[in-house]
Amino acid sequence: MATSLKCLLRSGKEAAAAPAVGDANRDLAAIQVTVRDALNQALDEELERDERVFLLGEEVAQYDGAYKMGFTGIAVGAAMAGLRPICEFMTFNFSMQAIDQVINSAAKTYYMSAGQQPVPIVFRGPNGASAGVAAQHSQCFAAWYAHCPGLKVVSPWNAEDARGLLKTAIRDDNPVVFLENELMYGVPFEMSEESLSKDFTIPIGKAKIERQGAHITLVSHSRMVGHCLDAAAVLAKEGIDCEVINLRTIRPLDVECIEGSVMKTNHLVTVEGGWPQFGVGAEICARVMEGSAFNYLDAPVTRVTGVDIPMPYAKILEDNSVPQIKDIIFSVKKTLGV
Amino acid sequence: EGKMLTNISTVLRACAQRNIQVANFIRPFFFTCLKKSDVFKLDEAPATEVVMTRDEGLQYYRTMQTMRRMELKADQLYKQKIIRGFCHLYDGQEACAVGIEASIKPTDHLITAYRAHGYTLTRGGTVKEIMAELTGRRGGIAKGKGGSMHMYCKNFYGGNGIVGAQVGCRSLSV
Repeated sequence: MATSLKCLLRSGKEAAAAPAVGDANRDLAAIQVTVRDALNQALDEELERDERVFLLGEEVAQYDGAYKMGFTGIAVGAAMAGLRPICEFMTFNFSMQAIDQVINSAAKTYYMSAGQQPVPIVFRGPNGASAGVAAQHSQCFAAWYAHCPGLKVVSPWNAEDARGLLKTAIRDDNPVVFLENELMYGVPFEMSEESLSKDFTIPIGKAKIERQGAHITLVSHSRMVGHCLDAAAVLAKEGIDCEVINLRTIRPLDVECIEGSVMKTNHLVTVEGGWPQFGVGAEICARVMEGSAFNYLDAPVTRVTGVDIPMPYAKILEDNSVPQIKDIIFSVKKTLGV
Repeated sequence: EGKMLTNISTVLRACAQRNIQVANFIRPFFFTCLKKSDVFKLDEAPATEVVMTRDEGLQYYRTMQTMRRMELKADQLYKQKIIRGFCHLYDGQEACAVGIEASIKPTDHLITAYRAHGYTLTRGGTVKEIMAELTGRRGGIAKGKGGSMHMYCKNFYGGNGIVGAQVGCRSLSV
């Protein structure tokens, strides 16, 4: 695993080296970087920057259920001892086996020790639905982990998010759950020179308004942000101007950003890939209702979520179990009453 | 598996050599290579000698062959992306499923990990149901909702995707 990882990192380094060569005549057009490469570059740079940072995790699952608990426990122990591990899960579905270590050993320790024992660890891996991997490998864990005090939970969308948030997560002294998305790994995004610099970090706890709008606010995270932007493009042709917020961080939730936007547009739709009950959208609704933005709402908030069933295997069923662009468009129109 | 085939062919060759009508030949084959086990608080140890009749042997072989062909076809379909997601194939391990099924009753319980196609067949699934499940069709053994790793029959508890999950689940796990 170490060899293959070094190869991965080396290739990431080469990709990073290319744009950094300062050529005055070079076009100032931004570089296209896939989410996967952005993550690898960030890992590579952080590993180099701090010798306490190291990677461990699950490349190929072996026949031993305790294996996952094992390496997660080792990672948490290392974090307590002063190292800064990055613990990788093949998918977050496997973290369910190790969740005791994540919650009880990592999340709660700083509080239980009255501040004496920090656990500077990053748990990362693909989260949510993939393609055809059925019920036990498609669950979204955003709501599960965001429920727990002591954890920070981030969910990047594009390459810039992935890079900046991973760097911040590694440098953070708290346990951070870093929810990636398998379907986003190969998607290229333009990255500015600034976002490719070695110390580019994105603060945890701050959402980003990806698209300004006046009529309705769409709040989302991870892959669904892309769907929201596509829906917004379609709706723009019909004269509906959507504001799209990319949460970037699930916990702590950037309520200020959402409230500010709702006060401007008066309508809110939340979009997520996970299940509806007790989910990210549910939390956003509760917070908006509790705050001052409630008085600015002209209609109840609509949640667009995955269907409340274990993910089916057949393609036609799977496609209809996650939010599609047409579902977002439908919800926007329903909320606006058009 | 190789040994089983050798034994079966030895038996059949023996029949042919003795020039006896094969249809009436029911001399069984004795497996006496089983090791004696130590017992703990049991009255009887498991048998050290079992008998397999010609018909049983042929039935096992037929099942194994069916399984092999089914898995090879599934392999082909997987490469054509007609089967999506995960597809853990059982070709090569057929003797395990058939052997286990030969030594248990249909009312015994069985659970396995993700390499489940073979056991689905021996526990009562049909090839059609299995292939329909793999290709995500309504006629599948789980109506297309489970996929490769989540196939179930009476007294067969799948098909578990998370490594090691089946161990804690049931008392008889394979």
